[in-house]
Amino acid sequence: MKSLHLSLLQPLLLLPLALPAGARADDFPTSGRVEYVLECMQQHDGKHEYLYKCSCMVDRIARALSYDDFVAMSVAARNQGLSGERGGLFRDASSLKTMAGKYREIEASARQACAVPPS
Amino acid sequence: MSFHTRFTCLGACLTLAAGAALAADSDVAKLTQDPKVWAMQAGDLNNHRYSELKQITSKNARNLTVAWTFSTGVLRGHEGGPLVIGDMLYVHSPFPNKVYAISLEDQSIRWKYEPKQDPAVIPVMCCDTVNRGVAYANGKIFLQQADTTLVALDAKTGEELWKNKVGDPKRGETTTNTPHVFKNKIITGISGGEFGVRGRITAHDIDTGKIIWTAWSTGPDKDLLVDPVKTLTWTDGKMAPIGPDSSLKTWEGEQWKLGGGTTWGWYSYDPETNLVYYGTGNPSTWNPRQRPGDNRWSMAIFARDLDTGMAKWVYQMTPHDEWDYDGVNEMILADIKVKGQPRKALVHFDRNGFAYTMDRVSGELLVAEKYDPVVNWATHVDMKSGRPQVVAKYSTDKNGPDVNTKGICPSALGTKDQQPASFSRKTGLFYVPTNHVCMDYEPFQIEYTAGQPYVGSTLSMYAAPGSHGGMGNFIAWDAGTGKIVWSKPERFSVWSGALSTAGDVVFYGTLEGYLKAVDLNGKELWKFKTPSGIIGNVTTWEYKGKQYIGVLSGIGGWAGIGLAAGLTKGTEGLGAVGGYKDLAKYTELGGVLTVFALPDR
Repeated sequence: MKSLHLSLLQPLLLLPLALPAGARADDFPTSGRVEYVLECMQQHDGKHEYLYKCSCMVDRIARALSYDDFVAMSVAARNQGLSGERGGLFRDASSLKTMAGKYREIEASARQACAVPPS
Repeated sequence: MSFHTRFTCLGACLTLAAGAALAADSDVAKLTQDPKVWAMQAGDLNNHRYSELKQITSKNARNLTVAWTFSTGVLRGHEGGPLVIGDMLYVHSPFPNKVYAISLEDQSIRWKYEPKQDPAVIPVMCCDTVNRGVAYANGKIFLQQADTTLVALDAKTGEELWKNKVGDPKRGETTTNTPHVFKNKIITGISGGEFGVRGRITAHDIDTGKIIWTAWSTGPDKDLLVDPVKTLTWTDGKMAPIGPDSSLKTWEGEQWKLGGGTTWGWYSYDPETNLVYYGTGNPSTWNPRQRPGDNRWSMAIFARDLDTGMAKWVYQMTPHDEWDYDGVNEMILADIKVKGQPRKALVHFDRNGFAYTMDRVSGELLVAEKYDPVVNWATHVDMKSGRPQVVAKYSTDKNGPDVNTKGICPSALGTKDQQPASFSRKTGLFYVPTNHVCMDYEPFQIEYTAGQPYVGSTLSMYAAPGSHGGMGNFIAWDAGTGKIVWSKPERFSVWSGALSTAGDVVFYGTLEGYLKAVDLNGKELWKFKTPSGIIGNVTTWEYKGKQYIGVLSGIGGWAGIGLAAGLTKGTEGLGAVGGYKDLAKYTELGGVLTVFALPDR
């Protein structure tokens, strides 16, 4: 049990360290990329040019973060807007605030590199 | 193992007790014995959330794939899950509490029900506009709407059969719980502890909705439905009568009228004793200085006779709550060995961080242990008095108003909220989704106004310090010894209900939106990213020889979900949906039910 515990702890502990460049996991599943592109296109009125621009963004993000980290960090960013006690958890907890902030930085830099205006 | 003995007895005892009563009983208890259907939110009367199905196993779970999906058309948090009866699936949404009847054959919508509710109810719902799902019995679907209306629908047509309003949203009363059908009655509760609502449960006639009895959580004995002599509670190491005015004596003046003790959790029922079990929530106001005394019977487990509502026993987990540790979490009935002795147990994972094992027949306290080691507000539960031994520096009452009490574990979310655990009849263990979160808490003075929040505290929350950095764990628990068997760390709190199966797989969802399958040692076998965070409960059923796993995702705060339905504008589909035809097959944006199965070979 102890060893199981430790091995599972690693990803959690490493999360803040895994953020700087060099992670280069590039392990996003196709569904994860498609989901990102569809959402991003929707934010830009579904214009065809954003098929390319949004794909560019998700490819860059995928090079910066492992898929698991991307999912966790984007959720931390998104859930800060939740109402009530639940949202409170995401707004309060410093570990989640750090994750959310870091994610916004990475996304902003991808946006800039891919000529996508802020939505 | 013990399950077999229980099963035989259940059958035999039911037959013995049958007589005239059985004729009036609903069909739901019998339906829950068929593993192909999922007839109650928890799968059965015992709140087991366990299935005998074993097509999906720990060997093949990694092959699970999406079979079909369904969008509810509603944003916001999606709790609870679908019911499956015959070739139909029934699924609900958060406010405005739509109900869909979906054919399992082709996923077409057979009918849709959308109640007209005053949106003024939304701001008086403390914690999102959730609903924990519908109930079924005798060809009827029962829905407990947010505005406290209990409604019965024809399961074939969706036609309204009867309605009964059990509360008043203008006074802050709302409802989020599933109705519970036990025998020939529907039991429902009330939410609104943050608004000074006085908690109670009501029992309704299944055919008319008429109230048969009402049992209050606070107040005079006649309102509580207790007998000062016959109703017992754990006292000095044994069961003893609660005595007269057991609630009134523990409040100052008439504070019991705003006493809280709401009842929005998961109830269970034991046909052998005819007792229904449920928990009561926090006392109002949150500021403990404003309500001296034990504040009975908030924060308590009640065992009541189903036919009369009379309490047989009651036990208060957190006398004089100072932290918002509601006692409403699920009451799981399990026949297990406790300290070596076979017991008819009730197991309850309380928000206060202690897991309680009670004798469900007598009400005796058997085990009370921390199910997260970081729990610090009390050192332990004194087994003689049954009271938690509060640590002075974490007492928000002792520290007083306008003092920020720091480092309390767990947070006001509790070590676990309502998201129900699963009991495996195969392993005899409990699989429990938990929070691993602590808080700083500061109460302040507050005046009561009907329909306004009556909270009186500010708090901030964070991951348990000095641990793995994540905010949750998924654990296996031995309720006979009070020990954690294994603990799987999670980045976020686990807010979905668990499911265990005879295929040696345990399922739960995460806030990232992963549905996960783990084996009996907690090893992850498979995970799948659904479109939003999962706070719903995992469900399983069988249709035409195939086992399915279904879970609602949708926590609110998400974007992009609309495009699952090919809508170009984010708001499209949110408004009233036109005719029946528009619904034909694929629907709207919003929360999503994702259904999985093994691929055909």
